[in-house]
Amino acid sequence: MVQDVSAPDSSPKAVAGSFRDPKGRVYVKNGRIFRTVMPVAVADYEFVRGTGLLDKLAAEGHLVGGSEVAASELGLEAAEAAYVLEHDRIPFISFPYEWSFPTLKAAALLHLDIQRRALEVDVSLSDASAYNIQFKGPRPVFIDALSFKRYEDGEFWTGHHQFCEQFLNPLLLRSILGVAHNAWYRGNQEGIATEDLARIIPFRKKFSWNVLSQVVLQSKLQSSVKGAGRKTVAKTVAKKQLPKAAYQGMLERLRSWIAQLEPADTGPTVWGDYAQQNSYEGEEAAAKRKFIHDFTEQTKPRQLWDIGCNTGDYSSAALDGGAMRVIGFDYDQAALERAFARAVSEKLDFLPLFLDAANQSPSQGWAGTERMGLAERRSADALVSLAFVHHMAIGRNIPLDHLVDWLTGFAPTGVIEFVPKQDPMVQELLGLREDIFPDYTEEAFVACIEKNARIVRRETVTKSRRTLFLYDSTR
Amino acid sequence: MTHNSCTQKILAGSVFTVIFSATPFPAYAYLDPGTGSMMLQLLIGGIAGALVVIKLYWYKLKGFMTGKRSSAASTLTKKKTPPEGKG
Repeated sequence: MVQDVSAPDSSPKAVAGSFRDPKGRVYVKNGRIFRTVMPVAVADYEFVRGTGLLDKLAAEGHLVGGSEVAASELGLEAAEAAYVLEHDRIPFISFPYEWSFPTLKAAALLHLDIQRRALEVDVSLSDASAYNIQFKGPRPVFIDALSFKRYEDGEFWTGHHQFCEQFLNPLLLRSILGVAHNAWYRGNQEGIATEDLARIIPFRKKFSWNVLSQVVLQSKLQSSVKGAGRKTVAKTVAKKQLPKAAYQGMLERLRSWIAQLEPADTGPTVWGDYAQQNSYEGEEAAAKRKFIHDFTEQTKPRQLWDIGCNTGDYSSAALDGGAMRVIGFDYDQAALERAFARAVSEKLDFLPLFLDAANQSPSQGWAGTERMGLAERRSADALVSLAFVHHMAIGRNIPLDHLVDWLTGFAPTGVIEFVPKQDPMVQELLGLREDIFPDYTEEAFVACIEKNARIVRRETVTKSRRTLFLYDSTR
Repeated sequence: MTHNSCTQKILAGSVFTVIFSATPFPAYAYLDPGTGSMMLQLLIGGIAGALVVIKLYWYKLKGFMTGKRSSAASTLTKKKTPPEGKG
């Protein structure tokens, strides 16, 4: 796993998420990403390299770029390594529990496509970890060069079980039951167990051949070998061979099935209609777009975070203005799906991710460090957060000063919108509850910002006095 | 429960019956592929596998209808043309 670190460091650090596979490890040194290839992996690595597959996939943008470098580039950590590779940096590391449905689906399809391409040149993948896929904008990129190995005649698809848990089952959860995978996936980082999914799929949904075989039957087979006979069964199965045609057939079948999966609760219509929904642009939206455009034109951020990105209107304005890339965050699955569709169709360097701002991704996994939390992955040099503060302050009872500290902590400069109490949206939030927010005022909000930063510019964009504030904590 | 574990045994059994002689293949990997997944691959990988299961259930159903009880193993060794089914 390649993970991002914000501060360059001259001594190499092993990346916490890269310990599972003995074939090599990933290190960060001076902000550069290195991967060791250990002697145990040399034969496979050299074979795969010889097929030209890695170069081809990298040239097409499906595999993270990398080249062999002198061991001295890495230092002592390379002592036992046969090769040292240096990889291109992934701008922002995200995890499958932060992906929306179409994002996870794009990752699943990339995994299958790489497998199919690999088998053509007698190469296979040793695992099917969703954490081996990262995103550049909305484009999935495979990042683990050491997952590739020489295909042995008759070998099984070793990663099949893992593929189901980490890609297929979370997608089915949404497409069959209309439940988003994120919370469950974050709780169980290996994805969704086939046995668990089999238990909750309604009876009437079990009769498609795909569901029947991949979920129901697989789960039955797995539980059928528990207990005393397990060893004998495992031994017997391990002696068998899977014909290559069968391996390929299974990949094909899964690919065509996954390609047509859609969320059960929103459906495919959501995907296409964002443009129509957003085709009329009121004065308010136009003023906001211009404000964001001017802001990024001036600051030219390399990475901008859009907290509460919705369908990506202002992320796209930020990119227009001159932001190099935008990582967006939102809670609304339908909005995220539209945002992802927009990023794909308009070829934007924009990755919209799921975030419950009141419960952000923690550092977790083995020893609590394997997958970095959102705070540990802070890498933005600019922030945009529009129509967000009131949802957290009024909707989730987060004190205004905590909220402003949290937001301004993501980037040294940014634009935050304050939506005052008299705004219809806030009135709606207060509709069914007592107003326990006497301190929710523009003055208090300004004071909170000025504790950490300077207000460089402000503009009121509606009659209800929604106001954008540009803060800067660097000067 | 009894029915369930019986089904599971039959399923497991059917996979082995599908498997004819094969040269041993060392299935080592740093990842445990999962026995269920491997059995499934054998099953859906070969049409033969699917046909045997269908045949098995066909005989079970027939046995149930006609009131004759026959063990999974014996039905599988009988030489009969399997019914049409999806592969």
